[in-house]
Amino acid sequence: MPTFKLDGKPIPFDAGDTIIKAAWKQGIEIPHYCWHAGLSAPANCRMCLVEIPPKPGARPVTLDVLEWDAKAGTYRTTQKPKLQPSCYTAAAEGMEVLSDSSEHVRKARRDVQEFLLLNHPVDCPICDQSGECKLQDYWLEHGRYQKRMRDEPVHKPKGVVFGPTIVYDGERCVMCTRCIRFMAEVAKDPVLDMRERGNLNEIFVAPGRQLDGHYTFMTEHVCPVGALTTKDFRFKARVWFLRTAAAVCQGCATGCNAHLDYDPRYNKAYRYRPRDNEKVNQFWMCDEGMLTYKEAHDGRVVQPKVRGKETSSARAMEEAKALFANINKDSVAFVFSAAHSVEDNWMLREVGATFFGSASLYMSGAAEGYEDRILIHRDKNPNTAGVRQLAPSAKPFQTLVEDVARGSITHIIALGGVAPSVASQALGGATIITVAAHEGPLTAAATVLLPATSWAEQSGTYVNAKGIKQVSEKALEPLGASRPAWRQLADLAVALGYEVSTTSLKQLRLKAIGGTIPEPLGSSRVTTSAD
Amino acid sequence: MEPLYAELEEGEMELPAEPMHLNMGPSHPAMHGTIRIVLDLSGETIVRADVQVGYLHRGFEKMCERGTWAQVFPYVDRLNYVSPMLNNVGYALAVEKLCGLAVPDRCQWYRMILGELARLSDHLTCNGAMAMELGAFTPFLWLIKAREMVWDILEEETGARLTHSFGRIGGMANPPTADFKGLCRATLPKILGLVEEGEKMLLKNRIFMDRLENVGRISGAEATALGWTGPCLRSTGVAYDIRKAHPYLKYDEVDFDIPVGTKGDTLDRFLVRLGEIRQSKRIIDQALERMPDEGPISCDDPRFVLPDKGGVYTTIEATIQHFKLIMEGAKVPKGEVYSYTEAGNGELGYYLVSDGTGTPYRVRIRPPCFQITGGLSKLLEGRMLSDIVPTFGALNMIGGECDH
Repeated sequence: MPTFKLDGKPIPFDAGDTIIKAAWKQGIEIPHYCWHAGLSAPANCRMCLVEIPPKPGARPVTLDVLEWDAKAGTYRTTQKPKLQPSCYTAAAEGMEVLSDSSEHVRKARRDVQEFLLLNHPVDCPICDQSGECKLQDYWLEHGRYQKRMRDEPVHKPKGVVFGPTIVYDGERCVMCTRCIRFMAEVAKDPVLDMRERGNLNEIFVAPGRQLDGHYTFMTEHVCPVGALTTKDFRFKARVWFLRTAAAVCQGCATGCNAHLDYDPRYNKAYRYRPRDNEKVNQFWMCDEGMLTYKEAHDGRVVQPKVRGKETSSARAMEEAKALFANINKDSVAFVFSAAHSVEDNWMLREVGATFFGSASLYMSGAAEGYEDRILIHRDKNPNTAGVRQLAPSAKPFQTLVEDVARGSITHIIALGGVAPSVASQALGGATIITVAAHEGPLTAAATVLLPATSWAEQSGTYVNAKGIKQVSEKALEPLGASRPAWRQLADLAVALGYEVSTTSLKQLRLKAIGGTIPEPLGSSRVTTSAD
Repeated sequence: MEPLYAELEEGEMELPAEPMHLNMGPSHPAMHGTIRIVLDLSGETIVRADVQVGYLHRGFEKMCERGTWAQVFPYVDRLNYVSPMLNNVGYALAVEKLCGLAVPDRCQWYRMILGELARLSDHLTCNGAMAMELGAFTPFLWLIKAREMVWDILEEETGARLTHSFGRIGGMANPPTADFKGLCRATLPKILGLVEEGEKMLLKNRIFMDRLENVGRISGAEATALGWTGPCLRSTGVAYDIRKAHPYLKYDEVDFDIPVGTKGDTLDRFLVRLGEIRQSKRIIDQALERMPDEGPISCDDPRFVLPDKGGVYTTIEATIQHFKLIMEGAKVPKGEVYSYTEAGNGELGYYLVSDGTGTPYRVRIRPPCFQITGGLSKLLEGRMLSDIVPTFGALNMIGGECDH
């Protein structure tokens, strides 16, 4: 692999990499606003300037500059090397690049920072970006000056509604054009552009349009400052109170990697942010997926119920035992859920196939929906492939409805409440025990309902459409009386008279997946990795 | 009235020969703070004294490790709460050592003056309280009156009489008030006058002297072995004072002597403190001369020092600086440091570990009292019960420092 030297440190690079990208791959950050690993480079923020000393014998490229000589009390002419944008300069074998070690680079960063903050409003206390803002970070790292301009700053439109999801603040904008480029290059909908010049620059939406579609949240995500904010997260939380868990989006079978940001004080999830994964979602997520964090709280089953009435867990288990006493094992059906993790489904298979010896296996899940060629998958379940691997013979949900109607199935043990839109009366003839995190036809029809934790409250493995196994980490504490579905199923098995050997998630995961799960990325700190 | 032991046999009326157990504390009027001494007494002679600290336990170091580096200041105020300024300055010096910060000269002199005032407060309280515990209430009032004057100055400067929280990383919270020097110059002679009157009442008092002299003796070697520092160590004749041995701030630029004792008894400890009160005045007098009236009180590094409040409200740069320092805390460079200063009772050491974040990874405090209290049982064993009060009083144990 060819290498170049950054501040004397050898950096390997792939052909075609720019200096900033090669350094980023090595985990070294050259400060930048406009560059983003997933977008093109316009080289317009000038924050990533580096010094590239001439090769021996070559003529140095210099600029004449006036420098204030404090001793003499006058300006004097001097020269400085012409700096290069590292986001636009291709790395070359044997190249010498000076970043932090160059005095000229440090001064350039400070000056760029001063220009960017020249007209910036004093908004930190009311800005949602506060705490994860590049302007703040870089001012302390590279600026550290106090304001010199005494004029009234230029005022621009604030609180401009760009569309159903995004609000724009022109005064905070640093004109990095990331949002423009995202819409044009990734969402393939060039609806944003820039108008005016100089310090009157602002971002605007194409006349007659609004910023809509399936990828509007990403414009806020790529915004390095607080110029773009989402209506969903605006004024909801302060980011320094949030903790984050490495989650997997439950919205569709793509299985986008996400940071689930939550406030441990209130046990409440506040937002998703994409988590970089080259193999799955690169740096992005869709709007629908970004909003599925709400399902950690909305439509949840949190109390055990018997025939629609809330009861205690012990009562519900007793009832389940009574319902399943002296029944014909052949008429018991087991319904796997594509919305639950591999671990949960594995325990159901243990109960159904192993204990009962049943061959009446079915599968439930959300109905198919919109798809595109970017990220959104037709299958709206996070774990269809995982269930297929566990129970290849599982029959579709429609067959279950028919079998119940025919009378060959009288008892059902179901995982997950979500099912394709069938009326809950369609299963009215059967006695159903449902273990579910979210409400749906199967919870409505359940005789005994046991509450399960959602993906946010329990570490679980999900297999996406490409067959990639991914672990979604626990963020919240279980809501209400909910417990991991696999635990509820294990207890149910014990209540029905079977012996369950697996009592820890670690053991279960070893059995269910064979212990070959990729380590989850991320930490409990709020980080913005691709920025 | 009938005697209680009327029915007892004659043989059982003997006084018990077994040592008697007696609890001094943890709550006792002559004990400073909550400390318990379990005594085995043979008659009135102490056979064994088991000194137990730990009744005051706040999880001090762990509390310090929760907030930002700057949020530790209010906590260290509550170490030796009779001289909080010394703790504040000691902690500030430790963090500054880790950050490689050098505070302006004006701040160094200011810290020295405030620190020596705090030392006065400490010694006045210790000597006054000890006299009071021996029944001499009047000298106590004299010395506490002097301490009030010290506190008036500190209140004028910091706004608080006791827990000032006045230190900052890279400086002090505020510059000296306009009349600071005048106030000090006017007050110090009065304080010294009160000290003289107070000591006259005691040092010519036969009862007082008899109760102190040759009580609680310890040799220099033993005291060193116990880890003693400060006035208690110096009373044994060991002239170890961090201000001289390892000068910090501007202590190497002022003239002062180290008062030492000869016998290491309670009287020596009392006299060493009286001597130090006079030395502190010498230091303050010199520092007042040399402290510049103009100039910054804090260093000018936005990574550690808060901006001017006016700027915070009007400019984005100062807002960012303020936000970063308050919400995330000053990012102290990765590393560890041990920094030590001469506090009221001896070596106050801070061992700090930073993982490079805004929160201390480890704050370990070496308070002088903890080691000194560790030697108490040695001083007491073989002495009389009534010797506990002067011996313990002269060690000046502060509960807040024994939180371990």
